[in-house]
Amino acid sequence: MSKHRFPRPFLTLLLAAALALFAAASAQDHDPNAVINLATNADPTMNPWAPGAVIESNLINTILFEQLTRYSPTDLSPSPALAERWEASEDALAWTFYLRDDVLWSDGDPFDADDVAFTFNDVVKNPELGAQSANQFAAVERVEVVDQYTVRFVLNTPFSALPYYLASYAGILPAHVLSDAENPLTVASFNKQQPVSTGPYKVAEYVSGSHVRMVPNENYYGSAPKLAGIVFRIIPDTNTQVAQLLAGQLDLVGRLNPTALAGVERNPALDVMRQSQNIFYFVALNMDDERFQDVRVRQALLTAIDRQALIDALVQGYGQVATGPIAPLLAALHNPDVEQHAYDPERAKALLAEAGWTPGADGVLQKDGQPFVIDMPTASYAELTPASLLIQQFWADVGVKAELTTIEWNAYIQQVILERDYEASVAWWSMPPTPDVTPYVSCSAAHTGNNIPNYCNEELDELLAAGRRALTAEEQQDAYYALQELLAVELPYLYLWHPDIISVKRNTLQGMPEINAATAFQHSEEWYVAR
Amino acid sequence: MASYTVNRLLQGVLVLFLISLVTFFLIDLAPGGPSSLVNMESTAAEREARLKQYGLDRPAPVRYVSWLLGAVRGDLGTSINQGLPVARLLAQRMGVTLQLATYALLLTTLFGVVLGVVAAMHHNRWPDHAVSILSTIGMSVPNFWLGIVAIILFAVTLGWLPAAGSGTVGRGFDLLDRLRHAVLPAGVLAFSLMPNVVRVTRSALLEVLASDFVRTARAKGLRQRGIVWKHTFKNALVPVISILGLVTTVLLSGSVVIESVFGWAGLGRLAIDAASGRDYPVILGVTVLVGALTVLVNLLVDLLYAVADPRIRYG
Repeated sequence: MSKHRFPRPFLTLLLAAALALFAAASAQDHDPNAVINLATNADPTMNPWAPGAVIESNLINTILFEQLTRYSPTDLSPSPALAERWEASEDALAWTFYLRDDVLWSDGDPFDADDVAFTFNDVVKNPELGAQSANQFAAVERVEVVDQYTVRFVLNTPFSALPYYLASYAGILPAHVLSDAENPLTVASFNKQQPVSTGPYKVAEYVSGSHVRMVPNENYYGSAPKLAGIVFRIIPDTNTQVAQLLAGQLDLVGRLNPTALAGVERNPALDVMRQSQNIFYFVALNMDDERFQDVRVRQALLTAIDRQALIDALVQGYGQVATGPIAPLLAALHNPDVEQHAYDPERAKALLAEAGWTPGADGVLQKDGQPFVIDMPTASYAELTPASLLIQQFWADVGVKAELTTIEWNAYIQQVILERDYEASVAWWSMPPTPDVTPYVSCSAAHTGNNIPNYCNEELDELLAAGRRALTAEEQQDAYYALQELLAVELPYLYLWHPDIISVKRNTLQGMPEINAATAFQHSEEWYVAR
Repeated sequence: MASYTVNRLLQGVLVLFLISLVTFFLIDLAPGGPSSLVNMESTAAEREARLKQYGLDRPAPVRYVSWLLGAVRGDLGTSINQGLPVARLLAQRMGVTLQLATYALLLTTLFGVVLGVVAAMHHNRWPDHAVSILSTIGMSVPNFWLGIVAIILFAVTLGWLPAAGSGTVGRGFDLLDRLRHAVLPAGVLAFSLMPNVVRVTRSALLEVLASDFVRTARAKGLRQRGIVWKHTFKNALVPVISILGLVTTVLLSGSVVIESVFGWAGLGRLAIDAASGRDYPVILGVTVLVGALTVLVNLLVDLLYAVADPRIRYG
């Protein structure tokens, strides 16, 4: 009796046939002629450092302009992009980046260290240009060209988060195209027409108000792009974006309002992705106001707010209560064991009483004959107004009266963010995935930078500096755990919630890292449309 | 008539100057600033550098005079947030708005006049009621809702028409493709503007139908259809021309809602983006352009009165 049910030659043949079939299938698992359609909400500026190039431009610039580093799709740690590897000096004051030597710009010119030096020395660090997010590189003194493919970042203070920031909308610009320009950030033929870039796709056509069409960059150094093109349609209205997604004319919509999900979830051709970013919503209390300098008052005002209720009411539960500015997304450095300030109106009242605020005749707390009334401007933008209204109610329950005024977004930024003309206000910060929150809480950023509450604490500044000096994982964890403990007690901001970012994509569009949008767009060469 | 036209055009120039003056100082009074410097992320130092670059550190009167001197020479300045010449932006967006306006005006005129005549001819009978119900719906249903519903019905459910955009990306010029893209936005626009035309046509016609010479015509034994088209319609035209003039101005200044819902890059969206982003040169450019168009359309309407009604003469 034979062990084999089939004669051996027949088996071999079968195996060969199966192999051939498999090869054929894998060669055709994606459609090489596919063009995908994405949406952006306004006319983009195709230069990552141009003033005002923000949310409408970021993802487009991420595809076009490669950076020295990019986020790892697994844990968002910085991983190689234009730089193959990097190292810090012992004193943490100089970082050396070793660049790839096989990169060409989309016009065929080779990329080298001069492009990096130009981007930082002549653009980012040129104070007259006012480059977007230049302040994130305040620690960088200059960039030195060591040799054709090596650059050294010379710092004026330790800055261990440098490789993270280099992955955060920090695209490298072509020196050979822009160095002759009077202002490299306002060259219309580059920003609005035909940028020269290093990414997997390049711009073929830009029609203002209508679309940006990208095609594969044949000079791209990495694996060949798997799509025939990417079109960004400029659609300001999010309802229209959803309608177009349902009509099959868009393949991906990012940053969807949870209230718009109803029709989308039922559609079998669409995948809903729940992503996270290092964002926190907060109430800023202006520390120039004496009342808020008492930490018990800050703690009481946070304890009075039912944050889970805010999340349920405002974003249909798509969010997480924040205990500090550093989101749980940064798993290795997020400290979960800090003061929580869970919702407890009685405790809030007790804290306020301790601080000398006693109930007045009309139910409003008072101290030295002054009622506790807070001027609270808010903007008609995103969830800001409804959030402010709910917080007003929670505070009213403990005897604190907030007077709301709603103003238009642009005027709001001018008044609250720039002029700090407010007593309390709800807003949010969106940060790169690093625990270095220096720009938002340090003394140096009070009154001028992004430290909206104008909070200043020397102990905190020291912990921030320790974090920036820490080069190893353990040192960083020590520094940032301590930092978060202090931030949770001191409450420079009243932390509200970390929102989930909801994106919806057609399920045939694959190869996108799901961790967050920035990472997905940094890996656009891997995208494909399944057959 | 030639001297009248020249006179009106000169008045128009004065009007435009006043429009620019008022717009400039009003928008300067508004709180906030260009979004490229007034945004969450920018720091004080970055903002100061940009203010200087844009010349916004100069006092308002100086900025206005320098804008005016440029505008007289045909230079409308550069958009602060976009970095493109304002004239180029206006030309691009005007083309799109003009396309949409033409289709919508044709539809509005055709359906508005025909339905108005039908209603007048069947005064107080069922066709009149049907037309008036339709007009009331068109008048009261908001554009953005109608637009979204039209997209859901015709693009999502039925799949007959594209949901948005003014043409298929990457196809180049293709008239049929452009028309397919225009059907929904032009249709929704026309549906909401048409009731004005219907109402004016109907009442103008009814008024003329009640006049003595129509009674005479009827007494001669002429048929109703002949009376309406031959004797009364031309006499009822003057108010219809004025309402069409108004509709034209509305359409040429761009419909923000329709352009946003259907993703058309027209003048309306340029204006709203410029206003919310405090892009001063673009705001001025759009306002002056729309002002100029309004002046021209009004002149044209006045001249057409004389054509429709020979009793009207301009000396």
